[in-house]
Amino acid sequence: MILVPVTYKGGIYRHDEIVDLIEDVGGYIIQKHFVAQEVVLQALVPRDDIELIRAVGKPLMGDITPASLVGTEIAVVTMSLEIHHLPHASCDVAEYIRRNGAKTNMVGLARGFGKRIAQLNDEERDVINEHDLALFMLGNFETCIEKKLPVLRRGIEVPIVVCGGPSKEALRKIIDPPVSGYVGNVGRFMHRTKESDEIEKLEEIVAEITSVLDIRREEIAKDPLSVSPARLMDIITEQVPDIEDVTSPTPITVQIAGLRIKLPYDIYAGSVRDCEIENGITIGAVADIRPSRMRDYILIKIKPFSDTSIVV
Amino acid sequence: MGTLDYFVVECPETLGGEYYKRIVSTVLLDHDLVKVVAKIHVFIDPSVPIFVAAGTTRKLPGLVTVRDFSDLNIEDHKVTISIANEAYLAPLLKILWDKFGQSRVDQPDRLTIVMSLGRDESDGLPDMVVSDPSEALYKDLIYAMQAIAPEGFKVRRQYYGNMKFYYVASENTLDEDISPLLSEKFGLMGESL
Repeated sequence: MILVPVTYKGGIYRHDEIVDLIEDVGGYIIQKHFVAQEVVLQALVPRDDIELIRAVGKPLMGDITPASLVGTEIAVVTMSLEIHHLPHASCDVAEYIRRNGAKTNMVGLARGFGKRIAQLNDEERDVINEHDLALFMLGNFETCIEKKLPVLRRGIEVPIVVCGGPSKEALRKIIDPPVSGYVGNVGRFMHRTKESDEIEKLEEIVAEITSVLDIRREEIAKDPLSVSPARLMDIITEQVPDIEDVTSPTPITVQIAGLRIKLPYDIYAGSVRDCEIENGITIGAVADIRPSRMRDYILIKIKPFSDTSIVV
Repeated sequence: MGTLDYFVVECPETLGGEYYKRIVSTVLLDHDLVKVVAKIHVFIDPSVPIFVAAGTTRKLPGLVTVRDFSDLNIEDHKVTISIANEAYLAPLLKILWDKFGQSRVDQPDRLTIVMSLGRDESDGLPDMVVSDPSEALYKDLIYAMQAIAPEGFKVRRQYYGNMKFYYVASENTLDEDISPLLSEKFGLMGESL
């Protein structure tokens, strides 16, 4: 069964029927938001059942659209949280990626600005490495990007997509060794992105991220995970009831090959480890459970089949 | 930015310069400085690195005195000030408290101030300066330049006066004498520092 990432938008009235349907056909609800009288569901659903969901949702004023980034957590790395970079361009980009289903976290570097003085500390590096992908929002000048990027990418192990003012070709030329993705002509700007060419640029960023993550998904497909992250989310929600008390919009964030659980590690790591998936197989047997560098959260990295010889 | 008499962004990186031109116009519009600035020349060289913004302002409103925003009535020792524009009430009160002491400044209602002053003390009260609009403008201009300049350029030197301003910044130490550079940039606008 191939699960496809989608977004469902529709009225709140009888939306539980859609939720039930998605679960009944074997899909997973990754995120659920209520916006005024509307509900937005980010979900993974079986490809063959999309039309069925669309048909059931139509009388409820609902529509289902592909959302390539559902089930991913992306770090939007901005050089600082000053007015120079926020809210435009960093927030505009983060928001647009979020609309395509990703969970984005803004990582504002403490000393990311400047050419010679730019730095990345170990906490920032570790936090970025907990994500599926890092999107670096750089400035307008080739000279600065060429000089500072080697410092900022030191120790980053996740795929990097670079956004910068110079053209895509210029970015390719100056960045050595190459990164996974480039989006040119998106550097520092201080106005809101609302014109059609600017929206096209945001689309280009989403397309670049999607293509980089598709490569990662293909790699995972060659050596599949022992359990699907979305399934693990359902199991934890069921067996660790305290997750219901977490006020964060996403108490459990689904990643491509793991989960971030927003419960304190010291208290809950044991009970998460002992959660049973199926036939006595626990989460601890198929995944690494570690403390996250983000607050005191729990980070789960699911092991591949080659490590565990289990697929549940 | 058609309202500016002169607006040039000079940068060795053409594309980077174009982006900065958009940033300058956005920031000046956002801070409502387009009607204040007459000419502006921005020079950025990321390889040095240095950022220079030099420009001139239009004629600014003059100093605001007590008689500009209030009615002053002096009878013997009793001075009554009726405020017409509340915007200047707080700075006026602060000046009066500092000068005569809080106990001698009575405020029977929000827009009235009553004081008991000697003749020598009340002399010159109508012409007392309460606010200097150019001071607020100076702060706004410098704040705008800070927002425009690349963020890492923390070492800076700035000036405002005689309807001219400049803001020079870098992430390295600046030359002790930056006047040749500034004279050159002002010269491009047909001005002298």
